[in-house]
Amino acid sequence: MSTENFPTIFSITEEELDLNELLAQITLTSTGAAAIFTGMVRGETKRGDAHDTEYLEYEAYVPMAEAKMKQVADEIRERWPVIEGIAVVQRIGKLFPKTPTVLIACTAAHRDIGVFDAARYGIDRLKEIVPVWKKEVSPSGEFWVEGDYFPKAGE
Amino acid sequence: MNRVKLLFFATLRDRAGTRSMELDIPVDLTIQGLKDKISNEFPNLKESMSSVLITINREYAFDEAVIPLNAELAMFPPVSGG
Repeated sequence: MSTENFPTIFSITEEELDLNELLAQITLTSTGAAAIFTGMVRGETKRGDAHDTEYLEYEAYVPMAEAKMKQVADEIRERWPVIEGIAVVQRIGKLFPKTPTVLIACTAAHRDIGVFDAARYGIDRLKEIVPVWKKEVSPSGEFWVEGDYFPKAGE
Repeated sequence: MNRVKLLFFATLRDRAGTRSMELDIPVDLTIQGLKDKISNEFPNLKESMSSVLITINREYAFDEAVIPLNAELAMFPPVSGG
């Protein structure tokens, strides 16, 4: 099977993330391994500035975010050509603790040819270049969470 | 003049008090020129200009870039998705 036939999913959605459905979409008959990363809303933060979170409100620059998610998938394929399926999905809107907010999943024939690294690269890159933001709402007030990455030319 | 659309997200949207606006700018205006113009005309946004990300037609753009005709521009803080 040529790379062009490998499934790539990238989307911003307000719907609940269906992890099983997304995994099924990137599983081929030749697939033997998947690395799935999902992040969720953390209600109690203990590391660093300890605090509780009531909910997070996500927003996105949707058309650019989806284009940058495709770019993340393209970068994964350049680095790990054996990766078969890739899913990059970010949920937006008002999301409460324990709710999955993002999914990055990569599939391959075997577990030892890069799927873990590829999924890790995907979530790290998403947090650098995909235009999505979250506002943290807690019992003591609300504030926008801001990242610290400044993209360079060509990113 | 060049009529462009300028979108704001997250903190920039809160400070601007709007999601988007149309602006008439000189045809050879650069991103740095746009930052200067916004600082002068929208005092609420002046402080944000030192750490803002700006895009031209959905690609990251830098100070020396000249803004093309009828561009879709956006201003926002470093991203925080995931």
